[in-house]
Amino acid sequence: MRRILFACAASLLIYGAAFTWLLDRPLSLGALQARIEATIAVGQTIHEPKLVILSGSNGPFSHRCEAIGPIIERPCINAGVAVGVGLDYLFTRWKPLLHPGDIVYLPLEEAQYVRPRVTADLGPDATIMLRHDRATLWALPIRRKIAALFAADLRAVVMSVIETALAGDGFRDPRGATNGGFNGWGDHVGHTAALAELNRSTLAEIVPVHPSADQIRTGYGTVLVGDFLRWASQNGVRAIGGLPTGFIDSPISDDSVTAIRAIYRDESAGFLELPNRSRYPRAAFFDTQDHLNEAAQIAHSVAVAGALLPLMDRSP
Amino acid sequence: MMFHTIAFIMGFLPICVTGFFALGRFCSARWALRWLVACSLFFYAWWHPAHLPLLVASVVLNHTIARKLVHTNRRRAWLTVSIGLNLAILGWFKYADFLLHIVSPNAPALHVVLPLAISFFTFQQIMFLVDTSRSQPALTASQKFPSLLTYASFVTFFPHLIAGPIVRPSEIIPQIAAPRLALPNIENLTDGLLIFLLGLGKKLVLADMFGGFADTGFDAAAHGAALTYFEAWYATLSYALQIYFDFSGYSDMAIGLARMFNVRFPLNFDSPYQATDIADFWRRWHITLGGFFRDYFYIPLGGSRAGPVRQTGNIMATMLLCGLWHGAAWNFVIWGGLHGLLIVIHKLYRRLFPALPAMLGHALTLLVVILAWVPFRAGSLAGVLGMFRGMAGLNGIALPRMIVAAFPPLAAIADPVTVLPFLGDARTLSFPEISACLLLGWLIVLTLPNVHRMTDRARHWTLTSSFALSMQALFFAPHVAPFLYFQF
Repeated sequence: MRRILFACAASLLIYGAAFTWLLDRPLSLGALQARIEATIAVGQTIHEPKLVILSGSNGPFSHRCEAIGPIIERPCINAGVAVGVGLDYLFTRWKPLLHPGDIVYLPLEEAQYVRPRVTADLGPDATIMLRHDRATLWALPIRRKIAALFAADLRAVVMSVIETALAGDGFRDPRGATNGGFNGWGDHVGHTAALAELNRSTLAEIVPVHPSADQIRTGYGTVLVGDFLRWASQNGVRAIGGLPTGFIDSPISDDSVTAIRAIYRDESAGFLELPNRSRYPRAAFFDTQDHLNEAAQIAHSVAVAGALLPLMDRSP
Repeated sequence: MMFHTIAFIMGFLPICVTGFFALGRFCSARWALRWLVACSLFFYAWWHPAHLPLLVASVVLNHTIARKLVHTNRRRAWLTVSIGLNLAILGWFKYADFLLHIVSPNAPALHVVLPLAISFFTFQQIMFLVDTSRSQPALTASQKFPSLLTYASFVTFFPHLIAGPIVRPSEIIPQIAAPRLALPNIENLTDGLLIFLLGLGKKLVLADMFGGFADTGFDAAAHGAALTYFEAWYATLSYALQIYFDFSGYSDMAIGLARMFNVRFPLNFDSPYQATDIADFWRRWHITLGGFFRDYFYIPLGGSRAGPVRQTGNIMATMLLCGLWHGAAWNFVIWGGLHGLLIVIHKLYRRLFPALPAMLGHALTLLVVILAWVPFRAGSLAGVLGMFRGMAGLNGIALPRMIVAAFPPLAAIADPVTVLPFLGDARTLSFPEISACLLLGWLIVLTLPNVHRMTDRARHWTLTSSFALSMQALFFAPHVAPFLYFQF
């Protein structure tokens, strides 16, 4: 029995040490981390009232700070990353950079409200924190620390080896040529309508899944957003909720919109709702229902900026 | 309740083991057995309590009939009736809709809910009835007919109740009736725990990972997607590994659990993908099921004693039944038929020619076994054909652009694409990821000894390499996949 216990303990120690100090995923998680750090670095350089967009990839693909900033006459940072990145992680990273007078716009994807806690705890941010950002991990609850320690499975081991080898070999993701890249504000650029033609058949077949109003009301993400809205209110930061972009033929139900709106209104935060509820024809999208193509991204951003203006002056 | 769940590992198992040995030490072996039966019934009822009466009635009825078999002069008649009754119950629950659909394709389905483990406990009891009718002296160590308590302990013993192994009454009942059964044996406890943990790793770490890869490809084929060469082959190779790691992992866990209770189960998997011919494969794959069909169906049919033509018929009948045992669907019948055909071809070949060189025999056996998994997994004829089309390259050969860029000669045979949409998570790096995982999985099954052939030191090293990943999957994986063989 002693040998079994020793083997089990050794296994846990090796696993913990390997994922804390040795194994890394410089390409997939590295790209996400680079995005997060890049937008935070921009945020650190701005010392005047600013607008920060926090969301999943709907933020950078469907919103353009480059277009919004001049309209609202304040700097704008597009800090949305990916739907899988934990909201608590994102909020924890941005809180120190948010000051009285700042505005946070949250056009969160529906999935971000309803993502279960067990899934959220094991998202890519768990591995990023364990390997590269232990200060943030330390600030999160003990549950998140344990989950981060056990976030990696065998596939993660395999991918770590592959990605480390490829990164050492100077590998570049071939999708860059077909997807575009990011500008200095954190916006995704270059995802043109012409490039979107490659994804036309995929876009035609996508059947978006909409969580129910009940799922949104009781979702774990809703709890995290509520906590953040209270923090924002107490710290003089104006938070404004919004709707993510999506297909016009697959609208979010009235009940769900009411549920999303209530999350913000209940905490005295603003809520931005365009007349079209951010719904567009499939031809306006790039590769998924969360990603407008570049022309539509700019048009949507102009509309959002116009709608933000009357909401900005209200005190939090 | 499944072996690889927190409820079982952290709750049921420690309570059951502790209670069993505490009662064995401080009360009596009879009380320990009563506890074991109660725990086993609770274990069974966890999934669907409504089916518990069926199991209890089946145990009581078969024990009563078996007792009658011992004393009657009309054994053959009683045996025929009892086997018929067992098969009728199994047939109703498992095959009613299938047969109804054959007889009347337009008739509305009966939607009979299949009781968990009915195939296993039915076969287990048929074995007992047949052995009793043959008056096997080894049936009980003391030449006594087993009491209802002993018999119920044997049939409902939770390590094998749900998905086997299908153990011989003559092997297990004497162990259950042994006076020292309920006294703790540290060596058995530690050996059992070690084997259980290694089986847990096979299931949670390996089987579920390959299951995810296989599902992507087979589900896409089932929905009419045109899989390219690598997508189809990778899904099939993944499924071959999934079903092996899943079922052999389950069997290891069952063997380990039984060992904790001082009961030794027979080996159920003996590195089947290392077999050098198809007959050898069936001596290594699901050994206890193969043994059951051989001893209780193939040999009573005449086996190889009545000439080659009759033997061919017997082989085909046995393998078709073996396929049908896995489920009431044509894909399982096709799978059984394919294996029957392969065995017949093998036997014919061996009559006419010398054996192939071991390496060639191994490669050929592996290839046909892997190909035969396609109908087993695909579920529909369209899915089977779609998968075979992809594997034949009829939907084209595509490779990620990064691979073609790294090895330019590949451009001559493969179209460069950004991602393969039906491969894993369809990411840029999915191809190298799944390639590496498949390489690892096939290296394990083709080159390493199985858990039961490993040295003690190798077992502990294997535990060191797998335990943390098992715990990760057990406590943190958002989804727990059931054992594949639960559906059978």
